[in-house]
Amino acid sequence: MNTPQENGGLRCGEVLADLSAYCDGELSGSRRAAIEAHVRACPDCARFGGAFAATLRALREQLSAPADVPADVAARLAAALRRSRTG
Amino acid sequence: MTSDTPTDHELLTAAAGGDAAAFEVFVVRHRGAVYRYVHSLTKNVTDAEDVLQQTFLAAWRAAADARVEHGARPFLFTIARHALHRLHRSHMLITEDAVSLEELGSRAGFAAPHVTAERLAQAVEERAILAAAIEDLPPLEREVLQMRDLDGLSGDQVAAALGIGLEAMKSRLHRARLRLIAEVRRRVPTEDCL
Repeated sequence: MNTPQENGGLRCGEVLADLSAYCDGELSGSRRAAIEAHVRACPDCARFGGAFAATLRALREQLSAPADVPADVAARLAAALRRSRTG
Repeated sequence: MTSDTPTDHELLTAAAGGDAAAFEVFVVRHRGAVYRYVHSLTKNVTDAEDVLQQTFLAAWRAAADARVEHGARPFLFTIARHALHRLHRSHMLITEDAVSLEELGSRAGFAAPHVTAERLAQAVEERAILAAAIEDLPPLEREVLQMRDLDGLSGDQVAAALGIGLEAMKSRLHRARLRLIAEVRRRVPTEDCL
């Protein structure tokens, strides 16, 4: 990829710019097909695209569930809400 | 309430009528996400707790007017964001940097001939590496990544919560994701040829 390649009618930089939209399912069918054609012919973009998608998957799988607040924070929040209702 | 698991809309409607127990259920459901959001931006437990309390106090007062048919997180994050702005105006006003997308891609390994997706995929499977990489993102990018990828808000919801257009949100999110990969890559030993 040191030399920009044009495959599927797209250059590597255009694929880079569209990776999020691709992963989020926001591209038109023709644009999606063009990216997939480029990636089939460009091993560098295929590798980087795979790493990009793997990172998004890992984010969602590992970190998407928020921990609850610490118990003392929860207690003070509840107390503040009680005060606001009674005050 | 119409089911065993009331919706956010049902809980806030009940809260608007003075049902403190319904609001408590609402608070328990969302306090972790709100706290994570504000803590990730303040990196300070005292300020995070302050904003957490302000957020739910404001939500209680605004329960009658809240539009949460599609979930309450955008509503809560918007309140929290305003509270954060009041508390940390200078911090939150950090502007987006001028690094080009190509440069961000390069830092993430896009132009690296030896990048190995397998090694990077291994690195992102290490929760500590991923969490540390998020911590090192600029606040605006950390914020959009958290709302969209960690809390699962839709693009429209994130854009509304951030007060920006959808395309601007998408651009910021893409930069955040590339910078996250760059931060993960920076944490992988160089002998792994990433």
